[in-house]
Amino acid sequence: MSRTGFKRRFPPLEILSREDVEQIKQATLDILKETGVRIEHKGALDLLKQNDCLVNYDNFRVRMPEGLVQEALRRCPSTFRLKARDPKDDLVIGGNTVYFNAAPGMGIVDLDTWGYRTPKQKEYQDAVTVLDALPYVDWFSCYTPYFGYEGVTEAMKMTMGLVQNLTYSTKFGAVGFANYNWDFNFRIAQAAGAEVLCPALMVSSPLTLSEFAVEAAFRTLDYGMPCGVDTGSVFGATAPATLAGALAEFNAELIAGIVLIQLKKPYSRVMVFGFPHAQNMSTGSPYFGNIANAMFNAAENQIWRDYGVPLRNTASCYTSSKRIDFQNGMERSLAAIISALSGAHTINLHGGVYGELTHTPIQAILDDDLAGMVGRFIQGIEVTDETVALDLIHSVGPVPGHFLDTDHTFKWWKKEQFIQQCADTLTYPEWERAGKADCIAHAKNKMQKILANHTVSTKLTSAQEAEIETIVREAETFYGKRGDLD
Amino acid sequence: MDEILAKNLRESVLKFDRQNVKRLVQESLDKGIPPLETADVLTNAIREIGDGLSRGEMFLPDLMLGAKTVSVGMELLEQEISRIGQKRKTLGTVVIGTVFGDLHDLGKNMVKTLLVANGFEVVDLGVNVGHSRFVEAANKAKPAILAMSALLTTTVAEMRKVIRSLEEAGLRQRLKIMVGGAAVTKEFAKDIGADGYEPTAVLAVELAKSLVPAQTE
Repeated sequence: MSRTGFKRRFPPLEILSREDVEQIKQATLDILKETGVRIEHKGALDLLKQNDCLVNYDNFRVRMPEGLVQEALRRCPSTFRLKARDPKDDLVIGGNTVYFNAAPGMGIVDLDTWGYRTPKQKEYQDAVTVLDALPYVDWFSCYTPYFGYEGVTEAMKMTMGLVQNLTYSTKFGAVGFANYNWDFNFRIAQAAGAEVLCPALMVSSPLTLSEFAVEAAFRTLDYGMPCGVDTGSVFGATAPATLAGALAEFNAELIAGIVLIQLKKPYSRVMVFGFPHAQNMSTGSPYFGNIANAMFNAAENQIWRDYGVPLRNTASCYTSSKRIDFQNGMERSLAAIISALSGAHTINLHGGVYGELTHTPIQAILDDDLAGMVGRFIQGIEVTDETVALDLIHSVGPVPGHFLDTDHTFKWWKKEQFIQQCADTLTYPEWERAGKADCIAHAKNKMQKILANHTVSTKLTSAQEAEIETIVREAETFYGKRGDLD
Repeated sequence: MDEILAKNLRESVLKFDRQNVKRLVQESLDKGIPPLETADVLTNAIREIGDGLSRGEMFLPDLMLGAKTVSVGMELLEQEISRIGQKRKTLGTVVIGTVFGDLHDLGKNMVKTLLVANGFEVVDLGVNVGHSRFVEAANKAKPAILAMSALLTTTVAEMRKVIRSLEEAGLRQRLKIMVGGAAVTKEFAKDIGADGYEPTAVLAVELAKSLVPAQTE
């Protein structure tokens, strides 16, 4: 049992030629071998030195030989299972399957003012319930839907968010790390009978791995959890302005992390995350929604298919719009379809409005239509004798013949079309009579229905709740002693 | 200062011509022009770029490359300024750094560049700066402003620790605190007791200017 996601039924989009791919891959090897990466972790340096890397302990620089890099990539499973709290929500990552996941926001969007604020606990829980109910949300990103809620201290935000997610949803989730919270988070997930994916090996671009990131990755592996490698290449800022150059560096940063993971614990499940994006050269802010981001993702997906390591497109669908409006829809739709066509295994989509700053369940509900449409597209056109329907066409013939009352239409039309839940699809007179509702109004109605009718399919047992509560208390004691709960 | 030399120097900065800047600054020193006068030409030129950025006519690569170009000339001038025992007038000292656990310094560097261009003296602590180092620097440099940056949601909480450490060290009232970075919000800045937050480097400089008089009053 697992979530099915969408299966792409045709070859993926290739934005690069074979020669392009090879040139970029060779540049990545050259970066790792000649410039190397800075790894600020003594244990990691020792491990890499024992495995034929050139290590300079004075400046933390590590240069990696090609053979080691190739072996590390070979050890990465190209498909693997991620265990959710309920087996029906397990994910099988890899191959031609495309999943969608919910995206985070630091705050909740106010749909009247389009400002944002920290959500209340009930709003957090409602957002989780909505994500649990939506059919095309396959899993939760880190600190999703929100980075904590009112009344929770900074130190406890991720942990308490995880508890809410496990309580109100059975879907798989990623978990962030900070402030040494990894033990608490992993133990809470285990208490609930689930795995969590931690993008622990977070590269500080360019080409640097902090001690904290390495430590988080090693702890992730100790717990037997799947590990994400992540880097936030910014074109023209932390990486070359050219997409080809940024790709070469981006890949080197991720592969350095993979080498470390596969040396520490061979054949571990690894997923590539990555947060590549253009920089707004006027303000220094991320330029979400720029077509360069989608182009990068397409190339990234192509190259990593070659490497055989599953990946998620993280920042692809982020938009620079602060509202649910045309810009928002344009930017995320283009990115989502490009990511899906080019072979991302999972796409970070539902609910995030502006970057990782804002989230709203209304956006998530609208995104579910987008995910459904994109998913329908990549499932392609089935061509068989039955679908070509030659016999039927012969039998219906010219006007006054029609297809509306045929068994064939009854059987196939719902499979061929995707029926949006929130789009305005009425005729003009119907729309006027119905109060001129737009997609946001439809989404609000749908949210009300979900909250009135949906409950999590499998509740945590009282024993699980008690164990989680004990771990939360331990975490509070730990952070209290550190003075982090003030 | 020689008008033609000043004009050429300004244009060389605006063309990002480092070689020419170096040559012209050396020429000014050889001619015995007071180094503070030449330094003013350079800072005015980089301020022009900063203003262009504010108007949306220039972009961050212009600013950063401009700063790099100016620094070539400043290095020569600083040696001479120091040798003759002069001191440049500044709007005040800013201690700046990216907080512990965070290695991202692009935003911080942009703010630093614009602060310098606008007449502040900046002590840059770099990245991954623990709260004790911020306190140490605040003690030593006696800044008007302490500025912190964090890109990651996972590291932003460090800012609260720094402010608490400054309070414990009895330094909090002596300086203003400004915070920024992708993970920081106005609400968060207020919550941790910072004196100001702005989302961009250009606005951060305006904030710094507004904080300085309040500090010196």
